[in-house]
Amino acid sequence: MNTLVDENNEKREQLNVENKKVYEDMLVYVRLSFDKSEAETEEVLMELLDHLLILQEEGRDSRELFGSDPKQYAREIVGELPQALPKKVRALFMMGICYFLGFYLFTSGLIQTILAYGFHHLEQTKTYSLGTTIVGLIMGVAALAILAYSVFRYIQWSCFRHTSKIKEYILSGLMFAVFPGVIVLAMYLWLPSFGPTVVLPVYWMGIVGVVFLIMAKLLGRKI
Amino acid sequence: MNERSQLLKGILEGCILAIISRETVYGYELAVKLQQQGIDVKEGSIYPLLLRLQKEKLIHGEMRASDSGPNRKYYTLTSAGEASLEAFRQNWNSLKSPVDQLLDRGGS
Repeated sequence: MNTLVDENNEKREQLNVENKKVYEDMLVYVRLSFDKSEAETEEVLMELLDHLLILQEEGRDSRELFGSDPKQYAREIVGELPQALPKKVRALFMMGICYFLGFYLFTSGLIQTILAYGFHHLEQTKTYSLGTTIVGLIMGVAALAILAYSVFRYIQWSCFRHTSKIKEYILSGLMFAVFPGVIVLAMYLWLPSFGPTVVLPVYWMGIVGVVFLIMAKLLGRKI
Repeated sequence: MNERSQLLKGILEGCILAIISRETVYGYELAVKLQQQGIDVKEGSIYPLLLRLQKEKLIHGEMRASDSGPNRKYYTLTSAGEASLEAFRQNWNSLKSPVDQLLDRGGS
């Protein structure tokens, strides 16, 4: 499959500026429909690219291929692509969750350990309510999933609009960083303690975080 | 083309099946052949239809190297596709002359 993606990258360079812009918007829009069969997606993208290159050679306009509303055309293509959740997408999703939990647990474990052992600001052990911890983590993961999905949709929505792409990516990046932080903070403040409690040293969180990070790395290697 | 009716889409699907039944073609070739037949549609409109026909397993698409070098996706008709083409042909034949007659009478 990667050969088709590589071939696409190479061939795309032959497009002129105007055609490249339309085609790359099309490409981003179609590829971001991540619940579609990857093979079919790349094949139809290649067919469209080949067709567009022929039109370009003949001095004809991309509108003869995509019509006057390329976004509508991209939507039509996506609508006909067979549904499939590729293994890659599932692995990426799992990897995202592991990285999120890993970074979150590791950094909070590290900070608390430094505060407790280095500066004696905190107790060296902490009481965890299992119910709260589990609900909190699930909510965090759910928030992340919703966010990732909305970023995908947002970029799709922004395709074929002629505003600065870079500005939009920075904006989505900010959303990506700030939003989960707010959720986690809100949970700390408002989630009541419930479920059985365990008392553990504060570096425990850091260790679990490292385990998640290792899992994320391993998943990443498989992709 | 895209905002026009389902009817036109159905007819275009039938025409695509008919062309593929005669010879193995790739996307651009198919668009050219439709135009040579005088069927004037936006060239891009064949790709969503090709995807749909593949999903319905009426045609089979396969990426392979072409004589001139680059990989192309070639389409062939499946047996279900042949049956569908035959059904289209029958429907078309049974409708063609009554509709023509009706429209002619309406025009005179």
